[in-house]
Amino acid sequence: MSFVFVIVLLQVIASCAGEKDTRPVITYSGSAVGSQGETVRRQIARFQKLHPEIVVRVQPSPDDATQRHQLFVQWLNAHVGDPDVLELDVIWTSEFAAAGWILPLDSYAPASSEFFPAAIEANTWDHRLYAIPWYVGVGLLYWRTDLLDHAPRSLDELVRQAEQAMRGKDGPPYGFVWQGARYEGLITTFVEYLGAFGAEIMNDEGEVVVDTPQAIEALTFMGDEIIRNHVAPPEVLTWHEEETRFAFQNGNAVFMRNWPYAYSLLSDSSRSRVAGKFAVATMPAAPGGKSTSALGGAELAINAHGEHPDIAWKLIEYLTAPEQQLERAAATGDYPTRRALYDDPRLASALAVPLDQVRSAIESAVPRPVTPIYTELSGLLQVQLHRALTGQTSPADALHEAARQMKAVIRDSGLDERGALR
Amino acid sequence: MRRSNDSDARLARLLVAPAVGVIALVAIFPLGWTLWESLHRHDLRLPWLGQPFVGLGNYARLLHDARFWGALGHTAFFTIVSVALELVLGLIFALAMNRTYRGRGVVRVAVLVPWAIPTVVAALLWRFLFDSQAGIANALLVGSGIVDHPVVWFVHTATAWVPVILADVWKTTPFVALLLLAGLQNIDPALYEAAEVDGAGAWRQLTRITIPLLKPAILLVLIFRTLDAFRVFDLIYVLTGGGPGTSTEPIALYAFNTLLQNLRFGYGAAISVVIFAITFGLALLYIKGLGAGGAAGTEP
Repeated sequence: MSFVFVIVLLQVIASCAGEKDTRPVITYSGSAVGSQGETVRRQIARFQKLHPEIVVRVQPSPDDATQRHQLFVQWLNAHVGDPDVLELDVIWTSEFAAAGWILPLDSYAPASSEFFPAAIEANTWDHRLYAIPWYVGVGLLYWRTDLLDHAPRSLDELVRQAEQAMRGKDGPPYGFVWQGARYEGLITTFVEYLGAFGAEIMNDEGEVVVDTPQAIEALTFMGDEIIRNHVAPPEVLTWHEEETRFAFQNGNAVFMRNWPYAYSLLSDSSRSRVAGKFAVATMPAAPGGKSTSALGGAELAINAHGEHPDIAWKLIEYLTAPEQQLERAAATGDYPTRRALYDDPRLASALAVPLDQVRSAIESAVPRPVTPIYTELSGLLQVQLHRALTGQTSPADALHEAARQMKAVIRDSGLDERGALR
Repeated sequence: MRRSNDSDARLARLLVAPAVGVIALVAIFPLGWTLWESLHRHDLRLPWLGQPFVGLGNYARLLHDARFWGALGHTAFFTIVSVALELVLGLIFALAMNRTYRGRGVVRVAVLVPWAIPTVVAALLWRFLFDSQAGIANALLVGSGIVDHPVVWFVHTATAWVPVILADVWKTTPFVALLLLAGLQNIDPALYEAAEVDGAGAWRQLTRITIPLLKPAILLVLIFRTLDAFRVFDLIYVLTGGGPGTSTEPIALYAFNTLLQNLRFGYGAAISVVIFAITFGLALLYIKGLGAGGAAGTEP
């Protein structure tokens, strides 16, 4: 009896093996949860119909950027062939490119000029493009239209408006909430203040310039918002995107710095107390600086050790095509990376955010430093910024120390001062 | 006779071999690997550097690493304060539980509840308690008029330690109390009767009988608790993440950040080796002390 069963089982196994699929398989790995995951799966299913000769698999990876980074680095370092197509955070491209883990895309002649220049710049390493911008995120200033009659035109005005609105009858307890916990979000906030004061983390020559007088002024301004003018609550130093959104959504803040994703959530009157009472603008500047939005977003790149780079490219081309970007914008609120789409009426109806309000933010978006050791430099800077903002050290000392450590790491990394491989 | 002794010994070695093999596989091999790794520059994010042998280079670098020394200091601070509090409170609980009263069994089980809760869950619980807005800690402090404004606990170094130490004390005092209770029950009640007859008060009985005879149990508690506290990771990872800045970052969290966040395997291995050396040294010290303490305990 059991003998017969084994025979049958063996036959079943053998027949499965006999029907073995010989079509090439490629794997996509990235965020696969929520509306983003649904959209990607739907688009990949359509791609699959167009190309029945290929099999595309979705390999979910952690939604948390830091965790996905760890996982990708471990995979790629071991030279595994799949996933073939990787969803990268904008700050990883140069790291993976310098390591030889992803392929340069110039042989596929991508239409770089059709994308936002800042997004292309962030994905360019050693004069070659390594990833295609999939969607962009930009830092936006959310402000309350029921408390103020216009968006602030300068940082000083922002503080004045916040103070006034807080003093008013039933004024919210917080003036300005932003991401100040010790994580990558603090760097994006800081980049916007830096730009507002005419400073940056690294200059075009790749030198660390994070401790210039203007940069110190920028960090001092952030600290003063907490300690001197009390427009930002000290809690922001433990807050990420979601905590700031909750504060703003409950009507507890006059201003909020956040990414575009918050817009549709804040507009939902069943959950939000500020639905219809807010608008977005770009972060204002101080005299001598310019209004700056940090550039975020995701990119698609090809695993250098994958078996089918040409098929991987086909998938990337499909996912970043105008139609797919429009569909994604409607489903998730992510901004397309193709400039022409911003003249397309379909985008205006797809996005919750009024296009005129975000366009200037995207135009003024600046990438964070493009260097293979970005994540390590960012970690050092995060600690020093947090030390200064929590009053453990002065802004000047913190930034001098950060610059010293960052320069030492660059010197030590086998990269020359300009960030290129020696 | 001799022959059979020899074959006995051989059989014994043969029987012990699997256990030794397992220990070698799960303890000695990883340790050796980590040691070897710590002698190399191995940075997963800088693959173009390869994995050059750098000798003691990583250790030399540790000497000048302010964050490393800071982390060691935080670890020592956390260990001393939390273990001291746990010992005192644990002794009080143990003495209370050692008395005969109705419902003693229920109390003994109830005391164990915090110990049974997974550390990460306990840490989350304490983070909610100390949340600056909705936290119970602030509600109590403001409500009772001790402070005017809610304290933002995790933004200042001094206040960030409060939930960390409290959570650890809350969670591990039961364990300490139980170990001490076992020690208390080994003390011959006749000693107390004799002391009573001789007219010794409660305090004298505690300092002259209970504590000296509890020494082996206390040493055991110290071994377990200091070694545990020295390797503290999950509690602080969840509660403060090592912040503000890195001012509550213990050495194990620094090792984790270096290894898994920054993927600097060589340097992270060097930190891990230092942690191992310190805990191993502490363990040796305690085992010596325990031997002496055990002897003293059996003397009378």
